[in-house]
Amino acid sequence: MSDQLILDKEHLTGFLRKISKERELVAPVKNHHGDTLFEVISSVDNISLDLESRPVMPPKNFFLPRTETLFHYQRKGKQYLFKEVLPEVPSVFFGLRSCDLWAILFLDVVFQENFKDRYYLNRRSDTVLINIGCREPMRNCFCKSAKSGPFLTQGYDLQLTDLGDRFFVEIGRPRGRELVEKWDYFFRPATNRDKDEQYEIVLEAESKFERIVDFDTAISRFINNEVDDALWEELGNRCQSCGGCAYVCPTCYCFNIVDRPVSETEGQRVRMHDACTLAGFTRLAGGHNPRHERSRRIRRRFYHKLYYDREKYHRPSCVGCGRCVEICFGRIDMVHFIRMVCERPEKSKEASLRLGEILLQAGLISSQELRIALERQASTGKPLGAQLVEDGLVTKEGIARALGYQLGIPETVGTGGMIGR
Amino acid sequence: MVANIYHPHPASIQEIKEETPDIKTFTLGFKDQEVQNRFTFRPGQFVLVSIFNCGEAPISICSFPTFSEDLQLSIKKVGLLTGEIHRYTEGDEVGLRGPYGNGFPLEELCGHNLLFVGGGIGLAPLRSLIKYILFKRSEFGRVTILYGARTPRDLVFRDDLAAWVREENVKVMITVDRGDSEWKGDIGPVTHLWKKATILNPSDTKAIICGPPVMISCVVFDLLKMGFAEDDIMSTLERNMKCGVGKCGHCSIGSKFTCLHGPVFTYRQIKEFPSVL
Repeated sequence: MSDQLILDKEHLTGFLRKISKERELVAPVKNHHGDTLFEVISSVDNISLDLESRPVMPPKNFFLPRTETLFHYQRKGKQYLFKEVLPEVPSVFFGLRSCDLWAILFLDVVFQENFKDRYYLNRRSDTVLINIGCREPMRNCFCKSAKSGPFLTQGYDLQLTDLGDRFFVEIGRPRGRELVEKWDYFFRPATNRDKDEQYEIVLEAESKFERIVDFDTAISRFINNEVDDALWEELGNRCQSCGGCAYVCPTCYCFNIVDRPVSETEGQRVRMHDACTLAGFTRLAGGHNPRHERSRRIRRRFYHKLYYDREKYHRPSCVGCGRCVEICFGRIDMVHFIRMVCERPEKSKEASLRLGEILLQAGLISSQELRIALERQASTGKPLGAQLVEDGLVTKEGIARALGYQLGIPETVGTGGMIGR
Repeated sequence: MVANIYHPHPASIQEIKEETPDIKTFTLGFKDQEVQNRFTFRPGQFVLVSIFNCGEAPISICSFPTFSEDLQLSIKKVGLLTGEIHRYTEGDEVGLRGPYGNGFPLEELCGHNLLFVGGGIGLAPLRSLIKYILFKRSEFGRVTILYGARTPRDLVFRDDLAAWVREENVKVMITVDRGDSEWKGDIGPVTHLWKKATILNPSDTKAIICGPPVMISCVVFDLLKMGFAEDDIMSTLERNMKCGVGKCGHCSIGSKFTCLHGPVFTYRQIKEFPSVL
């Protein structure tokens, strides 16, 4: 069977029905509140499958549930006994977004390296992952910057592309092939025209991303230790320690393990999602807390995702799904954070001098104008760029052009902070 | 199928020794003989202790790492779980999993003079190492042990301290923050003992520190001033831990996990971490 097939849309329900009869099927469904969530599908006929939006919660909840029982424990006389509770749910995930599928592959590594996590691996061992590439970036998406979408080139079992009246189906890993071969009567080989059409859609989808999130610049500032404490302080003041960013993040895997007493003689040991931004995350018995300040917890979060994970896994653990952008009311999500880091003047005085030099070289201001602006800046405390603009000595566009030319970066990136927000 | 890394093994309390008003040493034996036979550890490693209806906590092993001696844990009463085990009596069962962590770098310590600085319950992980070193006495140089506690009543492992004093080429110095009517020894922080520890030679001595964060910072500060190399100073760090196997994130410091890459770190590593002490 060819690796590229066509599934006519009229056959989709039939295909899903077959799957759901044999295995647990999980797919994005719009509920009566209007929210789309991944759900276990018991009957494919009475659901409103939603392949147009990104589900509110990531699929990680199926592999690392919000709460799961690890053990039942018991006390019999002096005896203390543990009985493990092992999940075994062979599932087919249909309609994953590329970013979410990529995130699952990341979690696979985390839960397999060093000590293997039996709970995670049991849930994951027989799952089939079917994603649908995104033709249009959704609000807040930046998977292209995160290099995890809008279409994948590997990692999926099956990847679908919406061609209007039909789906273009790419077979990835063997489990995807098994599924297609089992119910091959729903599929037909893709023609060259289908392939061309799909290729164009992929290219078009990539070109539609207007939001560029500059991971590389932000990370290089981490590496060069250029992120100043004042930024963390500011972010710490804006963070409400709600943990929302971690709960909605498809790659955040930190968890807590606690005992839930049921009676005097028995209870359950449960594992639940946790978040490094919560105050008690690092608190020790006795009260000492190494990351007591919110600013330090925020710092931890971003260093972990952008720097430490990149050191370890050669890429940051952000897939660009944009969920944190939607949930964070302090605007300390990945997009705003990276923008803040990139736009931050390195060290205000040095940056000002450098900006001044660049503008002088570009012939946009005279040395006397620069001197006056620097003096005025000393009393107002504004960034030099903002001061120059306010004094009418140069326009924002002028600065952007001069900087862009000098630093070899596009005009839209990395200049806002110097101009002043 | 892979083994369940979170599965605790029941172990019963064979003996309880009251060290101080709030520290007890528990001697434990696994219920399953096979688990008991398989269980080996290095000084500096820790176990996760399950207490019925209280959850789990990481506790350093303080006993001698051989089959012949039983597993011992010295536990200070500081919270819910430790408070509960302090109510336990002989025969009661706890759950254990591990050992976890890197332990002390025995190979690197070999052939060197050793300086131990312990504060309070911080002597527990050091005790395991000191016992190991005294067992393999010829492989190590001079041993200096500085130990500080709040009051004379808070001194742990009194029998061991007394035995170590009698050992050849071992110097033991003890100090307390506040003395009492019977205390004739030193009073003040452990760093006040430097002037007595004249035998210290920074160029061939490795320093191993364990105690409260403030003590560690003060000791490290002084050792650096004396000329100790950053690689020759090591400490075991205490962190909130849930999984013990490098997944849950709670014990993370910088890019490392205390449970996996620690809890023993050299000062060179510690100083690279974002403000640890």
